[in-house]
Amino acid sequence: MAVKKIKTKDKHIKNLATIVGDASSILYQKVDLLAYECDGFTVYKHSPKAVVFPKNTNEVSALVKYCSDNQLPFLARGAGTGLSGGAIPLNNEVIISLVKMKKLLNVDLENRLAVVQPGYVNLKLTNSISDKGYYYAPDPSSQSCCTIGGNVAENAGGAHCLKYGVTTNHILGLEVVLPNGDIIELSENGILDVPGYDLLGLLTGSEGTLGIVTKITVRILKSPESKQTVLAYFDRVDDGSQAVSDIISAGIVPAALEMMDKTAIEAVESAAFPVGHPRDIAAVLLIEVDGIAAGIDEQINQILEVCKKRNVREVREAKDEQERASWWANRKTGFGAMGAISPDYLVQDGVIPRSKLPEVLKRIEQISQESGLRIANIFHAGDGNLHPLVLFDARIPGETDKAILAGSACLQACADVGGTITGEHGVGIEKREEMRFVFNDEEIIAQTNIREVFNPKNLLNAGKLFPTPGRCGEIKQVMKEATTVS
Amino acid sequence: MIATELLINLESIIPRERIKSGQNQHHHLGNNAQVSVFPTTEEEISLILKYANNHGKKISVMGGGTKRGFGGLTESVDILLSLSLYKGIVEHTVGDMTLTVKAGTTFYELQEYLAKHKQKVSLDPTWPEYSTIGGIVVANENGPKRLGYGSSRDVVIGLRNIYPDGSIIRSGGKVVKNVAGYDMNKIFIGSMGTLGVVSEVTVKLRPVAKYESLILISFKEGSIDEILMFSKALLDSVMEPVALELLSPTLSEKLTGQCTFTVAISFEDVESSVHYQEKFVKGIQPSGTEMDILSESEAQYFWHLFYTICPNGAKESAGEETEAALKIGVVNLNVLSIIKESQLLQDSYNLVVESHGGLGHGLCQVILKGSSQKVVLAIRQMRETVLKLDGYLVVKHLPFELRQKVDVWGGKPSHFFLLEGIKSKIDPQKILNPKRFIGGI
Ligand SMILES: Cc1cc2nc3c(=O)[nH]c(=O)nc-3n(C[C@H](O)[C@H](O)[C@H](O)COP(=O)(O)OP(=O)(O)OC[C@H]3O[C@@H](n4cnc5c(N)ncnc54)[C@H](O)[C@@H]3O)c2cc1C
Repeated sequence: MAVKKIKTKDKHIKNLATIVGDASSILYQKVDLLAYECDGFTVYKHSPKAVVFPKNTNEVSALVKYCSDNQLPFLARGAGTGLSGGAIPLNNEVIISLVKMKKLLNVDLENRLAVVQPGYVNLKLTNSISDKGYYYAPDPSSQSCCTIGGNVAENAGGAHCLKYGVTTNHILGLEVVLPNGDIIELSENGILDVPGYDLLGLLTGSEGTLGIVTKITVRILKSPESKQTVLAYFDRVDDGSQAVSDIISAGIVPAALEMMDKTAIEAVESAAFPVGHPRDIAAVLLIEVDGIAAGIDEQINQILEVCKKRNVREVREAKDEQERASWWANRKTGFGAMGAISPDYLVQDGVIPRSKLPEVLKRIEQISQESGLRIANIFHAGDGNLHPLVLFDARIPGETDKAILAGSACLQACADVGGTITGEHGVGIEKREEMRFVFNDEEIIAQTNIREVFNPKNLLNAGKLFPTPGRCGEIKQVMKEATTVS
Repeated sequence: MIATELLINLESIIPRERIKSGQNQHHHLGNNAQVSVFPTTEEEISLILKYANNHGKKISVMGGGTKRGFGGLTESVDILLSLSLYKGIVEHTVGDMTLTVKAGTTFYELQEYLAKHKQKVSLDPTWPEYSTIGGIVVANENGPKRLGYGSSRDVVIGLRNIYPDGSIIRSGGKVVKNVAGYDMNKIFIGSMGTLGVVSEVTVKLRPVAKYESLILISFKEGSIDEILMFSKALLDSVMEPVALELLSPTLSEKLTGQCTFTVAISFEDVESSVHYQEKFVKGIQPSGTEMDILSESEAQYFWHLFYTICPNGAKESAGEETEAALKIGVVNLNVLSIIKESQLLQDSYNLVVESHGGLGHGLCQVILKGSSQKVVLAIRQMRETVLKLDGYLVVKHLPFELRQKVDVWGGKPSHFFLLEGIKSKIDPQKILNPKRFIGGI
């Protein structure tokens, strides 16, 4: 093995390099660490101590044990696409990157499961089984690069989670390295309901604060026999929102039910995948129904009826797979498309009861006016998961702060109608304080008590997810000082 | 006499007419108590817990009592906390398809109410007239339609949990998608009441299917290979059965009159889709088998019967025979081995053994009836078989006395310290359902 030389006196770096075999599996020099200062949440940055790239579970375990024994803070990182700052090394952490653990370990079509390493990229799984008529359901818009390990940590969702559920509904088993280095197996062979408290469910969505996931058994599904997609344009947002409610009330369970407002349409039509949405409409709905072919027409007809009743300007079905794919590419690249109309943007992730959609959209409009910042809305309308995108220009002094405040106000609006502050992107650093919008102190302590069981030294991904009592002022200050934005 | 002080103290929390002493002391399924209380408000529940926590009293929590024979190595505790009067719909927003309900509401009452809105909770527990939603969630009870609709962990979006210190801790929320903080709902689901008392459950609802049918295929020859081939063909197709359940000959005889291995396939969708799928199944029907298609009310009647096959802990007295129910989890297609083995147990131990298992989800239920000694031996043998398949076996129903002889939960996992850790953070005095759960938790 060609051994690169370690050029540092730091004994920890040397020891960590020894664990992962050689110097090519560790980064520790300032320039190399720049890319790891933040994830997809770019408002806040901090330098890690080092980044290590283990190749297997034993190496992860040894690294973790070393960090734990030496009181070194550490955290796991997948593709770094997280949008709430979960992988940002707030405490100068050693970053354990899982990208070298990217194998598909096993596919068992008969029992409908697959086993992957945590660094395996989400979309690759579907791509590698689609020829046999199977797929992996959770489909975050970032699926072409985010890792399944990161998906487990964030309990990622996606457009098609309305019918099929989010990541947690598809996780059958996990191998986890605990913060002391112990390796545990939760439902090794994917068997359901193993006796004991449901740690599988608890670990999923714990944002990398309870353990590092090193192997994942997921459920795979048979691809539906048929799919049909409908596009509907509305002149009034209220009509679009009402149509969403009516479709669901009609007893239809669409595979996806997405909505974009006027500002969002302006962005996606100015970006890489325009499809010709009229620029003057207030809202577009993208509705997909899938399942047994024989039952689809009936549901599509019902959807067309509903839209007409709600004064739709135009509604049509995708004429072929190519058109369907272009509609989805247009939608799934929606966040990035903001770059075409604004230097910077901040994505929020509130959830509301569907019936409150018109009310909350009005409130977001008000927040936009009050802050003087444009807010685009792209959302999973079917499950009430809103993504207000606050557009701003970080070069203008004070705008970053304004954007953060506007984003927080949107979450308050969601919480006020009985909703929540995050549906799929996680709390991370970004929404720590907003946790108080939905949980009281006792409820937050109930959760940190659980963290103590797994992560008693709090060396693993500390400072995430929960507001720090008495530190609110300090955090606001840190946010203020942050200047760099994507 | 010891009860006197307890009674006096409880009377300061809850009216006398909702306190009963004596009544729940000698049930053969155990989980007894000196005094039973029937709170009607959350505040009462909270105060009872707080009292017990401060005075070292142990509590057994009960919903409808159907799972009284499920775990528990303490014959009798101080207080039996019944949630049977804590019932009713708290909030139902029809258009949002979410509902909050008090824990003591029976599943039947809940579904009857929802049916008026053409909605349902997509769980299928046994004994719906007796089982309460709280008990179903906390014991993680579900049936064959799990294949299509998932279980409590997929359906529950929020809980109100009353901790032993009396504090009310909400987990989750009221919206269908939520990743704020840890997914605490998950640790309460299936916790057997050892962490807190669930007072309210919020669930996401589904529309009642526009049409349903049930196909019964009886395999006359009884060849396991044939069933396996058929199941694989169906599972590898684009059909969308909500249940694909293998019934043992003994169970099949009881439910369908045919003493053969029988596969029950349930479809729920718009009518045209259901008929299309029926046609597909006819197309792959193995020769030498018989097929019966039950639609709508006939299918519903079958399921109605199906949900009464399991022993019901809410029944007052023991019958002549010992009854046991097992929950077994294996990798999906290993269900065949389990159901076959259970049929063999029937002959080798001279028992009546009825069993079924989901070929698409791997969970089985085995019900045994006969002499207590034979039942115990058969459970042990079954566990050996299950362990060879890397599965688990949990005893869901067994008289108290026999629970001393058979480990209800099987061994402890290597990460047991985490389970213990969670328990001791939430219930450090161990007042709730003592020794009811895995490893003596
Ligand atoms: C353009 C864009 C679109 C997006 N669309 C969606 C969407 O539709 N739905 C959605 O849900 N999300 C979406 N996201 C957010 C993001 O892609 C998801 O949160 C994803 O799950 C993160 O995966 P990752 O591999 O990038 O994880 P990272 O960002 O590397 O890490 C995320 C968190 O997980 C932890 N972590 C990572 N790997 C592990 C592991 N193996 N064990 C334990 N903890 C670990 C990290 O410590 C961190 O806290 C989007 C992001 C972008 C940039």
